[in-house]
Amino acid sequence: MLGIFALASSLSAWADVDRQFELSLQGQFFPGIHSGSSDVREQFFAGLEAEFTSDFDSDHLIGTFLPYGRIASTGGEMNHADIRELNLLYTADNWEAIGGISRVFWGVTESGHLVDIINQTDRLEGFDGEDKLGQTMVRASRLFDQSVLDLYVLPGFRERAFLPSDQPLALPFPIEDGKALYGARNGQQHVDLAARFSGYRGIIDYGLSWFNGTSRDPEFIAQSNGTFRPRYPLINQWGLDLQLTRGSWLWKLEAIHRAFETDALTSDFSAGISGAEYTMYELANSLFDLGLLAEWHVDSRDDRATVPLQNDLFAGIRASFNDTQSSEFLAGVFSDLDDSSSSFRLEASRRVLGDARITLEAQSFIDVDPNNAISYLQDSDFIVLSLQLFF
Amino acid sequence: MRPISVLFAFIALFLPQLSLADASNDRARGLEIATEADQRDSGWQYQSSDMEMILRNRAGKESRRKISSRQLEVEGDGDKTLSLFHEPRDVRGTAMLTFSHGLEPDDQWLYLPAIKRVKRISSRNRSGPFMGSEFAFEDLSSQELDKYDYRYLQDESCGAYQCYVIERIPLYENSGYTRQIVWLDQAEFRSIKIEYYDRKDELLKTLDFSDYQEYPGGYWRADRMEMTNHQTGKSTTLLWFNYDFETPLKSGDFNKNALKRLL
Repeated sequence: MLGIFALASSLSAWADVDRQFELSLQGQFFPGIHSGSSDVREQFFAGLEAEFTSDFDSDHLIGTFLPYGRIASTGGEMNHADIRELNLLYTADNWEAIGGISRVFWGVTESGHLVDIINQTDRLEGFDGEDKLGQTMVRASRLFDQSVLDLYVLPGFRERAFLPSDQPLALPFPIEDGKALYGARNGQQHVDLAARFSGYRGIIDYGLSWFNGTSRDPEFIAQSNGTFRPRYPLINQWGLDLQLTRGSWLWKLEAIHRAFETDALTSDFSAGISGAEYTMYELANSLFDLGLLAEWHVDSRDDRATVPLQNDLFAGIRASFNDTQSSEFLAGVFSDLDDSSSSFRLEASRRVLGDARITLEAQSFIDVDPNNAISYLQDSDFIVLSLQLFF
Repeated sequence: MRPISVLFAFIALFLPQLSLADASNDRARGLEIATEADQRDSGWQYQSSDMEMILRNRAGKESRRKISSRQLEVEGDGDKTLSLFHEPRDVRGTAMLTFSHGLEPDDQWLYLPAIKRVKRISSRNRSGPFMGSEFAFEDLSSQELDKYDYRYLQDESCGAYQCYVIERIPLYENSGYTRQIVWLDQAEFRSIKIEYYDRKDELLKTLDFSDYQEYPGGYWRADRMEMTNHQTGKSTTLLWFNYDFETPLKSGDFNKNALKRLL
């Protein structure tokens, strides 16, 4: 495959390579951090994502190379680069296959993603967990009329990168980075397997998925020196995602069951997110669309001290202004139904300067119960302002 | 009773029936014209094209969108359409897949490239603006014959052509219009002009078609469409390029996987 990319980069082929660039400038502000604290109160980032694609003058092949890198005013580990994608996709009439580094998203809900498991979360990038590290994979897919069967072989496990301890959103205990433990005897070399059958029938979209291999979510093992080492256990996970789309209503469900190997600290559990979104189009004869959404998170571990969303409700509104700048926002509150903990979240964006985009993301931990898993975020309210420029 | 009043009574008795007969004639004629126009634009099987959208606000300030699309004709159902957005560049790579079903709600999926997510979306919002333009989703959707009730109004000259003028009333739910008046040229049954009347039955928009080109198989496409909103003073121009009726497309090119691999 590398040979083909070498070929693609040869001068004659370069002209056929589609090149796109995205420059992002970001400021992060933590108004709750006291001036005397050693934690970061504000920081700035400049990031560049490039995307090179080519079809090699073929009807069946697409090659993609998508590197990303950023520099941070806070330096150190916050400077960060990743190959998000480097792959070759072959498509035929009723099947396709991809080899290389790629990203995959599974799921339907908005306030959390349970079923999505293929890629490791990039914790250095975003709080919402939607930024993912590239994952090495071979995927073969059989396409049917209204459904698809995907089979995955996933070598090359990637550890989660943790925020440095002076970051307000960092975990509240010291982590020994680069000293991860594994459930698999061959550690990081373990090859994971996954499969998913998905499709639609009328108003129903469904997906049934299976994953067997090293968990992307680590456990933490206390060390005698007071630090913690991440341990990635072997898991077997089943997932289901469902959406019903009917008129102005979207009904959504994600559910997983995760079973652990015997040495794992964690015991087997099930978790689910279910909810609905109702949209009022052209509210009061304007161009404005207003959506109301609610999603309930539940987890069989039922331990609010360790599981952030064990019995929590997200309720929010989504607004689309349908103007030429495509202005929109999503605002909502996560509330723990077992204690008083709640946090407010806002995402808003608007097109500026023709085709740049400005985005505001903010989260405030309004009330945090000391026994809740998110208690360490008490003072970590944040405002993130980003400008993305496209070339 | 004098003979003259007998005559009036006779006329009075039959007048409603006469006008009813006229009305049903007008409806039959309207449907006939719409059917002919539909027939002449059937059988192309697949097509693709590129489109540039120029949005103008009341002050004349412009913004642009670029979209390429592929369409598959489906026997006995609405068309399948795949649209890929190129500009504005903040939405580039975003793609939309629509399976239209005439009077029934369409099936619609949106692909968001930043998180590689395909989302099933509601197609309930037929009357909402497409990408902030003066075109509503329903103006750009697959125009199936059974989506409207038709009525022939009159013959009229329209620019360089002689036209049939028909009224059509949307039968699908959630339309933003009470009715539309369509001018079709009598030689080729091409749409020359459409007037859109809003929910209060006031003239909302006019769409003018121009620069028609004929493609293999005898299919006509307007290279330019101009939508003017009379109530807001805004307008949107659509320019069409690279119409292709030759490169074969098949059902497998119109699914959720295809959304993710458009270049």
